Amino acid sequence: MKFKQKSQILAFLALSAASMLASAVEEGDTAPIFDLPSIYSDQPAISTASLEGKTVYVDFWASWCAPCLTSLPLYNDMYHKYKDQGLEIVAINVDNPIEDGLDFLEDTPLDFLIPADPDGDAAELFEVIGMPTSYLIQPDGTVTLVHMGFRSGDIDMIEEAIKASLAGN
Amino acid sequence: MKQLRTALLLLSCSIIPISCADVRAWERGYLARDEMTWDPDPLESALNDHIFFSKEASSGGNSAAGGGCGCN
Repeated sequence: MKFKQKSQILAFLALSAASMLASAVEEGDTAPIFDLPSIYSDQPAISTASLEGKTVYVDFWASWCAPCLTSLPLYNDMYHKYKDQGLEIVAINVDNPIEDGLDFLEDTPLDFLIPADPDGDAAELFEVIGMPTSYLIQPDGTVTLVHMGFRSGDIDMIEEAIKASLAGN
Repeated sequence: MKQLRTALLLLSCSIIPISCADVRAWERGYLARDEMTWDPDPLESALNDHIFFSKEASSGGNSAAGGGCGCN
């Protein structure tokens, strides 16, 4: 009886721990499927299905995250440089309320796709650990780069990865 | 008595995971606000540090950088 009780308690603790340790998307994994409304009310929803066949760079950002705000204008330049070669950038905004994100976009217009994810549904699917985190996704859905944080010089490394990916298409 | 003890143990075990629920990376908007930092006014805290150092002949170890937004 005592052993049974002990093992029940242990099983309960193990289950509780396992539920807390969901695994994050890593390089080599298949990217999760998401379907989110655009942050702009007059633009269509953005889903994985609408991005099929493209090299997609997914970035999670928020207006309260300083490194995110540094990276976004640089991503905009990169988008213009490579969009004709099949690059799509999807910068998922996790601001809640989304007006905080829109305030930033008013001052810094960005030309790529910006879905709104105020409840963190997509962030939960990707199991984002820190902000910003970005993912380079191949046309077949495989994640080939996971990049967390944003420091000066990171953009060169990201551009190299994107160039290599586009060359492989 | 034994059953009560087991019930209490199970209850406390179920409370532990709840208290461990972490703030996810995308939920740190409030934590990233300026007023959430340990030192909202760096000048004032530098002055306080200086006074403390002069009086107590000790310095450092007062705070860590950042408000816990998980940014760089």
